[in-house]
Amino acid sequence: MESGRDGLFATPQPGEPFGRPPLVVLPDPAPRFGSVDDDLREGAFGFYEQAVELVARVNSAQRPTCAAVFLKLFDDVLTCVAAHDEAGIALRGPYRVAEHPDFGRAVESGNAFVGQAVAVAPVRAHGVVVGLLAVATHGLEFGSEQSLQLVTIANLIGFRVALDATFREFQKEAELSRRLERLKSEFLNIAAHELRSPLGIVRGYVSMLREGTLADGDRDAALARIGEKSEEMAHLISEMLETARLETLSLSLSLEPVDLHAILEDALNTVRPLLGIAHSLAVDRGRGAISVVADRARLTTVLTNLIDNAIKYSPNGGEIEIRLDRDSRVAIIVVRDHGIGIGAEQIPMLFTRFGRLVTPETSHIRGTGLGLYLARETARLHGGDIVVASEPGAGSTFTVTLPLASVTG
Amino acid sequence: MEDDVRVLLIEDDVDAAEMYRLRLVADGYRVVVAHDGVEGLRLAADEAPDFIYLDLRLPGLDGFEVLERLRGEAATMHIPVIILTNYGEPELRERGLKLGALEFLVKADTTPAQLSRTVERTTGPRAQPSA
Repeated sequence: MESGRDGLFATPQPGEPFGRPPLVVLPDPAPRFGSVDDDLREGAFGFYEQAVELVARVNSAQRPTCAAVFLKLFDDVLTCVAAHDEAGIALRGPYRVAEHPDFGRAVESGNAFVGQAVAVAPVRAHGVVVGLLAVATHGLEFGSEQSLQLVTIANLIGFRVALDATFREFQKEAELSRRLERLKSEFLNIAAHELRSPLGIVRGYVSMLREGTLADGDRDAALARIGEKSEEMAHLISEMLETARLETLSLSLSLEPVDLHAILEDALNTVRPLLGIAHSLAVDRGRGAISVVADRARLTTVLTNLIDNAIKYSPNGGEIEIRLDRDSRVAIIVVRDHGIGIGAEQIPMLFTRFGRLVTPETSHIRGTGLGLYLARETARLHGGDIVVASEPGAGSTFTVTLPLASVTG
Repeated sequence: MEDDVRVLLIEDDVDAAEMYRLRLVADGYRVVVAHDGVEGLRLAADEAPDFIYLDLRLPGLDGFEVLERLRGEAATMHIPVIILTNYGEPELRERGLKLGALEFLVKADTTPAQLSRTVERTTGPRAQPSA
């Protein structure tokens, strides 16, 4: 221990203002130390002033030479949030403070501890000792009544600390729910716009058919467009419903043994009409059957979504590679494109419910962003997963893994 | 024909563009289609259209940027532009009109026939459809 310092508080030296930082003995090496929340510190400080007044009242109007509130904010490190110097000037912490044997005794007994020139009372919040109130005066004369008063003030500090913690918790939750609400309304906004574009085309062609302004050949094309756009709307709506079902946990799978090849063919039949001249599919079916137990329709949708996504996010065209594979445990589906790719910082958002990535390169691309969210949730419901590897400008690779129907299969 | 009224559609949704094109052609307009903002600006300069329908959500340059550039060029600054979009938010409408768009139409609420009539209102009587 350093010379000239005695226990918890520095020994006052003639002519030296008492208790200036460092107020307390700091062990060497210094313990870990973090920051103290400003509100908490101010709250504790208010009660601290009351403690000082109390000491002045009960101790023959002599103000304490030194007092401090410590809060146990980091594991075993006590942080001094308020202290008092000899001139009666209150100092706001945080100051670092050492473990002190008096503290240990106060914590263990749960009672105020009055030692030589030092009185200590535990500060409790939600029943846990979170700090200590310590008071020092020259010639401290604390009886049981004064100790009780000290404990009362310590309890008030603890109450304030608990209130603060509860309030902050509440604020955090309120912030989170505000954020979710905002995301929800943004999502509804995107979904409404996504429905508007096919709806506009259906309405437009219907009005033209009614007016009789279309030539014979164009009428067939119009009916085909109306059919496609109705399908597109139906798909959007079912995506939204699936999302709602996932959220209320009311989505149940219709499981049956199925070969991945059958699912691949179903998906290819759906996406082929969507392929423009710019995109081509390269399909590697692997060798032999790959049996999984799956909800055939939902797994087909997963694959359709991944391929559709690959097409949408390679606006300059190119090859979409689809590969089926297996190892000893899992069935593997890989969908790879050579499109615009995804930045590393965007990948964590990609599979979230509101994860539609809107960047200058993608803002004109249609979609609610639900496809990937639903795809991964569906894979996970099957006991599998989807991961992505991507490089901006070079394309993305989505890999679906699913448990094989039988390890001997 | 030289005195045909020429309409430029700047619209990235291929199906929507085709639908509007069919109707405008049926009503005797000559129609050119651009699928992105850059192509739209190029065609506006090269084709000297009498009228422009402009989508807002476009790859590359969005509709507002296209409108600003059209207004900034002597050759295109007087071409009437009507915004045709899926977005009906009042602040977008206000921004579009401030940038000099003649009208702001929401696609789902506008039939192709209404589009055609809007062109007619703006550019005056047109030539009869060619046989």
